[in-house]
Amino acid sequence: MVGQVVISGLLAGSIYAMVALGLGLIFGVMRVLNVAHGPLLMLGAYTTFWLFQRFGLNPYLSILVSMPLLFLLGLALQRVLVRRVVDAPELSSLLLTFGVSIALVNLAQLAFTSDLRSVEYLTGSFLVGPFAISKPRLAACAFAIAITAASFVFLRSTRLGKAIRAVSQSREVAQVCGIDVQRIHLLAFGLGSALAAAGGSLVAVMVAIQPEMGQVYTFKSFLVIVLGGAGNYPGALLGGLLLGLVEQLSSLFLTAQVNEAVAYVLLVLVLLVRPTGLLKGRV
Amino acid sequence: MKRWVPVGLLLLAVALSLYPLEATGYGVRVMLQLFMWIALAQSWNLISGLTGYVSFGHVVFFGTGAYASSLLIVKAGLPWPLACLGGGVAGALLALVIGWPCLRLRGPYFAIAMLGLNEVMRVIVSYYEGLTGGGNGLSLPTLDASLAIYYAMGLVAAGVTAVTYAILTSRFGLRLMTIREDEVAAEAMGIDTLRYKLYALMLSAIGPGIVGGLSARDQGYIEPISVFPLIMTITMIVMALFGGKGTIWGPVLGATVLFFFQEAVWARFVYLHQLLFGAIIVAVVLLMPRGILGVLQQKYNLPRTI
Repeated sequence: MVGQVVISGLLAGSIYAMVALGLGLIFGVMRVLNVAHGPLLMLGAYTTFWLFQRFGLNPYLSILVSMPLLFLLGLALQRVLVRRVVDAPELSSLLLTFGVSIALVNLAQLAFTSDLRSVEYLTGSFLVGPFAISKPRLAACAFAIAITAASFVFLRSTRLGKAIRAVSQSREVAQVCGIDVQRIHLLAFGLGSALAAAGGSLVAVMVAIQPEMGQVYTFKSFLVIVLGGAGNYPGALLGGLLLGLVEQLSSLFLTAQVNEAVAYVLLVLVLLVRPTGLLKGRV
Repeated sequence: MKRWVPVGLLLLAVALSLYPLEATGYGVRVMLQLFMWIALAQSWNLISGLTGYVSFGHVVFFGTGAYASSLLIVKAGLPWPLACLGGGVAGALLALVIGWPCLRLRGPYFAIAMLGLNEVMRVIVSYYEGLTGGGNGLSLPTLDASLAIYYAMGLVAAGVTAVTYAILTSRFGLRLMTIREDEVAAEAMGIDTLRYKLYALMLSAIGPGIVGGLSARDQGYIEPISVFPLIMTITMIVMALFGGKGTIWGPVLGATVLFFFQEAVWARFVYLHQLLFGAIIVAVVLLMPRGILGVLQQKYNLPRTI
């Protein structure tokens, strides 16, 4: 039982970690909490669904389309809207991205209707000893790990990645060092959206796709970056895995409905007990 | 000029209390809802407009009030006016319990904690089916009291606005605004910031608690998704912001304009409703973050207590 929980938890957690890394990038660099992160994930899921439906494209290959597409949408959002509220009080950025969020959900309802869609590609499970490992979840986990690892390599080793980390540590100092902060903001929002899109493409194979599927990911992602420590990128990884484990564990004792609230309770507790997160981040 | 303000308000009050004599049932309902939105927007203004702490889940007090007073009516058999006051008390108690830990959080963290609290309350209410009826909701005994509820809503809206006036013109209000401008400086000046933030949050929870009870009594039926919707929090924020947060008349103005706009225009666009609302939010945030009164205040050098 415990082994099964750990396996399921880690599989779910790896996707949380990747999606949250996207939100964390935006939050870390600009201190803007992007409420539209979940709806961006939803758009990624629809991209995969339509490519699969119309052209029979392999859902995992469709990541190569959904990520660039949402990267561009992220650039546009940042360029036209979010840029204007970066330095405003948090009320402005929260409301602005919330406005974007309900507009995106409504647009999706108009364009795709509220019907539940699914991508029937991989089903079934591997049986390893006493454990069942769902095939789509394992595949999603593998891709999530690969994409997250690539993001870390990018953040760690490339000049642009270093510039992103520098801006999230101190915008002023980064600017003095000759980093084009506006451009880094743009890049961070684009990358964050692309990571949400990757998450959407991966969960498309596992869950029902509908316009309101994304909202819950916004909140879970925020929980993950708080757990790991805001502005601490490896922390998001730890936070994601932890959230996956806790959710699976609590699902043993709680009904599905109450289990929804676990993430919220956990968030409030972490904020109160250790607002800097498990690994040190900034408050 | 200043002498005419009380006279004008008195005339307005008389006109509004005579209004149901002439109006249709629908007309009374519309005004009743307007009063509700004024009370909600004004209450949000009390905590967030004055202290700068953004309550992103203020509807939680509305929902808690709705459930508390419905339960008082259904299970304890209390008359509805008393039960609705009980809803206000429930709101304030929740504010005390939740504010004491959460008001230590700053910036987006407080906002998100409040948002989370709303979701948690919704789940809790759904979970205790024996008491609350769970997802099936809770029906109240039938009773036609819309006229009485009209006056009660009006009183709450006027009451919350009067409280805002009293606070804005008091030392307490100055303390709250000092916290908004610079909390560290406020602490350095010897203001017990947590205590005053807590008072403000509790005061701001009473109105939504009572209004939640009144609205439940008016509708005759409540369910978790109908009394804890996130969109309601956003609506009250946008109303207060549009009129001018941190002012006395801003939330009243914003609620009135947006509410009638909603009744007149949005009702025609059923499918585009949310898209339009999203666009309005974006427009208000980008184009007039200080609100109508905020802009006028700055331009014409109006007093702070407008």
